[in-house]
Amino acid sequence: MRKANRHQKRKSALVALRKESERAELDLIRRRLALPVEKRMNFLRVRLPGGGSHL
Amino acid sequence: MNAGPLLTSVVAALAEVRLEAILIGNAAAAIQGAPVTTVDLDFMFRATPVNLAKLKKFATRMDAVILRPYYPASALYRVMNDDRGLQADFMPAIHGVKSFNSLRSRAEKIKLGGRALWVAHLADIIASKRAAGRLRDKAVLDILEKTLSEKSKPSSEA
Repeated sequence: MRKANRHQKRKSALVALRKESERAELDLIRRRLALPVEKRMNFLRVRLPGGGSHL
Repeated sequence: MNAGPLLTSVVAALAEVRLEAILIGNAAAAIQGAPVTTVDLDFMFRATPVNLAKLKKFATRMDAVILRPYYPASALYRVMNDDRGLQADFMPAIHGVKSFNSLRSRAEKIKLGGRALWVAHLADIIASKRAAGRLRDKAVLDILEKTLSEKSKPSSEA
């Protein structure tokens, strides 16, 4: 009984987390769309000599 | 990193040599509001002998070299200048897009440093990434589609 309860709690937590993640993603897109084109230029990553990259 | 100065100089050099090219890929998607990043600037162009001569002039103006990294498998021309962090790939053909003219017919023209830059429509970028089918393309499809959906809503664009 206790095990089933724990499983149910974890499941609902994961659902809530997914919803929150999707909401944050949409919010990020909306904030970027609200910016003028010249403010949307922070997309270029710099290559590092040993491999990899950073913004 | 802010791509503004580099992209402005690329657009100016393209205009000076009169090379017609359309920005595609993640750079074009980011300019249209998608929260994605990239290490290079991808362009579609027509690989005519005249345009290839213009591409050489463009590379000279950017103090860059032209490489053919996947020759003969691919017709990609890579213009590189490591000191400036420039990697611009010019492709005569891309997956999921019929022709240069069809891409341009839907592309958006934006002003950068007083010059015009053609930017491919987000729907074309999505189509090309879906057709290419690489893992890194599939990884950004969802966010590009969400951006296109938000952009299509009447009051989303400032």
